[in-house]
Amino acid sequence: MSLRDHIDALEADGVAWPDVDRRKATAIVVFLVPGLTLFGIFSVGPIVYSAVGSFFSWDGFTIESFTGLDNWIRTFADPLIVNWDNILRWRFPMGALTQNLLWVVLHVPISTLLGLGMALLFVDLKGRRILRSMVFLGFTTPTIIIGLVLMFIYDPQAGIFNELLRVIGLGGQVRNWTQSPQVAIYALIAGGIWVQTGFNMLLYSSALAAIDPSLIESAKVDGAGRWRRFWDITWPLVRPVTAVVVIMGIIWVMRVFDIVYAAGGSAGGPNHAYSVLGIEVYRAAFEPPIDYGKAMVVALVQLVIVAPLALYIARMN
Amino acid sequence: MTQITMEDVSKYFDDGETVANYRLNLEVEDGEFIVFLGPSGCGKTTALRLVAGLEDPSEGAIYFDGQRVDGRSPSDRNVAMVFQNYALYPHMTVAENVAYPLKIQGVPPDERDRKVEEAMSFLHIEDQADKPPAELSGGQRQRVALARAIVREPSVFLLDEPLSNLDAKLRQEMRSELKRLQDELGITTIYVTHNQEEAMSMAHRVVVMNRGTIRQVAPPGELYSRPRTEWVARFIGSPPMNLLRGTRQNGSIEFGEAGSVDLRRTSPGGLETVPRGTVSLGVRPEDITVETDPPSGTAAIEGTVDTVEPLGEYTIVNVAVADQIVNAKVSSTSVDREDRVYLTFDDDDAYLYDENGELLS
Repeated sequence: MSLRDHIDALEADGVAWPDVDRRKATAIVVFLVPGLTLFGIFSVGPIVYSAVGSFFSWDGFTIESFTGLDNWIRTFADPLIVNWDNILRWRFPMGALTQNLLWVVLHVPISTLLGLGMALLFVDLKGRRILRSMVFLGFTTPTIIIGLVLMFIYDPQAGIFNELLRVIGLGGQVRNWTQSPQVAIYALIAGGIWVQTGFNMLLYSSALAAIDPSLIESAKVDGAGRWRRFWDITWPLVRPVTAVVVIMGIIWVMRVFDIVYAAGGSAGGPNHAYSVLGIEVYRAAFEPPIDYGKAMVVALVQLVIVAPLALYIARMN
Repeated sequence: MTQITMEDVSKYFDDGETVANYRLNLEVEDGEFIVFLGPSGCGKTTALRLVAGLEDPSEGAIYFDGQRVDGRSPSDRNVAMVFQNYALYPHMTVAENVAYPLKIQGVPPDERDRKVEEAMSFLHIEDQADKPPAELSGGQRQRVALARAIVREPSVFLLDEPLSNLDAKLRQEMRSELKRLQDELGITTIYVTHNQEEAMSMAHRVVVMNRGTIRQVAPPGELYSRPRTEWVARFIGSPPMNLLRGTRQNGSIEFGEAGSVDLRRTSPGGLETVPRGTVSLGVRPEDITVETDPPSGTAAIEGTVDTVEPLGEYTIVNVAVADQIVNAKVSSTSVDREDRVYLTFDDDDAYLYDENGELLS
């Protein structure tokens, strides 16, 4: 007897379960509608709107005619997005996409390692709660404030960073860090790392706290030294957290905006020296001359990079 | 193999606020199976960790074969330890877990594989080799932890309540397995437990601990038949020894309206050593006979039956004597609640403790 026959037999018997199912389905729909509506209006809608709009020409905010890949080709050919000449000579500006990827390459590994390092350091330390809170404070501060704080830190006269250089005898290196095109991006990435490290440290701290201390002691009895204990026991057990830390880091960095805006305004620094994709979307969409098509393309590029990573995290066990 | 000596070993935590162990003195013979027995929080696990090298003593010294080892790392002492929760590395397979200590020691892969196989077949877990620990039952995990401990042929084997996470049946099985293991390997073993049945059935000698100190070190039989203090007497045996408070008067111990016991019975020829004042008379429940008629010629303690607990194998009769309850363990009985009964016992089965709880005779 097949499953279908079973169901038919049940229906023939007049069992009321299909009715129950319909009632359940109605309830599910009723509960889902508010959430799905918001999700539709604020997430799916804009994505679809941008995806479609990126193939049309725009006059301000008014959609005009279908232009095929014109917006896409124009955007990728724009030196503000990818500047091939400067990339080959390793000179800034290299374009917002390149600079954004440079953020990923530097910011993510450094903040991940620092977060892990600090979490490990704080495991057995006295007063670790205070220290941990202090490091985490960086993450709780609005990033626009971090950007402004960075301006103070890097200020050529009053900034503590330049003062430090003078104290350690590197007075020759003193400069206005956020306005020097060839080094400014590194100064900002350092600020970004400060923010993210607190978050990473917190994730790693809870991962380390979840490791049964007897595992470490057992390894100690088995003869493993400090490094072996870390490499053989601790690291494999915090690896899942590392995946989260790295992906969250990439997502955060691909969406970075406030720090750059605070330091360099909507131009993204002198001659766009440290502009990122978020800045380009903002300028194309909200500053004349408005180029809505380009804004949509850049936003979609951000999405294409970030979405699979977000999906991976969402599906992680 | 190794002989272990603890000399005045103390361990304090929180800058001396908490005393975990105080002046432990102990000699563990080469190949001996020693059990640290005591209630929770008595310092037995700390004592084990001191031997393992996971803690350093605050005072005193620990010797392995006459060589001082305190201050040395666990790996320098060649000890193997089985933790209460087994501490299996969750990201390694069973075989990798067992092989790990050998890997650390730098044993060549061929030899390592051979030894791992040997240890796993010794503990009957060969067919679990490729499984992660999460897929194993409690008993199997226990065996993996044991295999990991024996694979490197340690000179001292330390076990911290290794059976407490198993169900009763498995616990009994593993108990005999552990005993077989120790007998066959002859490794000096220290085993920590709060379960006296485990301690009595496995140990060559039991170290009874309370409040961070050693109360008595003795083979199980002696511990049962000659508990040196009231505390040990109460701790060993189930139900524990009855201790009747009485007053020593000329030649006898008075229990008020319950009667008296002639001192010459419990302390032949040594009457003068028994101080005047309050003493405790100890008799094990199984050594007491419950009679309904007053026995002739021998002194008896009189009481009223409080409850009768038939447990199949034996029956426990709880008798109210003055203001105390005395347990008697009898094979069968016809007495009922509120019956007037007389408790008698052999002279050899009675113990006398002074006011401080020390054994007098």
